[in-house]
Amino acid sequence: MRSHEFYVWMAYGMTAIALLAEIVALRIKRTRALMGVEEERDLEAQD
Amino acid sequence: MSIRWYYFASPSTFYGLAGRLAPWFFALAAVLGVAGLYMGLVVAPTDAQQGEVYRIIFIHVPASWMSMFIYFVMACWGAVSLMFNTRLAAMMARALAPTGAMFTFVALWTGSFWGRPTWGTYWVWDARITSELVLLFLYFGYIALANSFEDPRRGDRASALLALIGLVNLPIIYFSVVWWNTLHQGSSVSFKGTTMHVAMLWGMLLMALSFWMYSIGAALTRVRAVILERERRTQWARALAR
Repeated sequence: MRSHEFYVWMAYGMTAIALLAEIVALRIKRTRALMGVEEERDLEAQD
Repeated sequence: MSIRWYYFASPSTFYGLAGRLAPWFFALAAVLGVAGLYMGLVVAPTDAQQGEVYRIIFIHVPASWMSMFIYFVMACWGAVSLMFNTRLAAMMARALAPTGAMFTFVALWTGSFWGRPTWGTYWVWDARITSELVLLFLYFGYIALANSFEDPRRGDRASALLALIGLVNLPIIYFSVVWWNTLHQGSSVSFKGTTMHVAMLWGMLLMALSFWMYSIGAALTRVRAVILERERRTQWARALAR
């Protein structure tokens, strides 16, 4: 029986990295969006 | 009981709804993912011809399905935004694109690592693989075009048009193995049935459902950020940041 662990784990490993990277990117995007809202609020408070 | 579609079409209302729904979809994705991996890596038997390397299909096939399905849904939201000029539809289309691109990349990557031990090469300019690569470029083009305008509404319209034109690539991907003499194998699963072992089939279907739930959760989470970016000057958005 042939065994190809390297190829299987490279495929599963990259999928896990891609999913994790997207989840991190989602958190960063949300944080930046919230910061944008805060900046707008601060700008209005200064006026 | 009727659903108040117009009520939920408002970004401010949908923001709260998406926030409540997204964690459930992520939780479902995790549960289905664990079940799918268990079926695929533990329960499913070793393939008589390919050995253990066939286990890549438990992510390759669902990722390929999602890459096409997300593009189709993204183009539909784009069409709705063009026809009815609804802001939320355009935001949903934008929110889906990065997840679709990610699954297209995963489909290409895992296919390549399945191809090396099976075909003897990581890459071949085969009709199925090349059209899937075109899909990845369509996603990149969509994301770049949507973000290249000062006025986001113009970006919405231009990218929706691109998404609709790119729809022509989906039947090319799907039927490429029928229309041309390709190295890529034909579909193992169809509406008519399958020749796969039942544990292999369940592993693949559970992983497909997991990716589907994940995509909905990711799109709902991203659309909340897109809504905040667009609505940051409104009173309701400012109240959130307090």
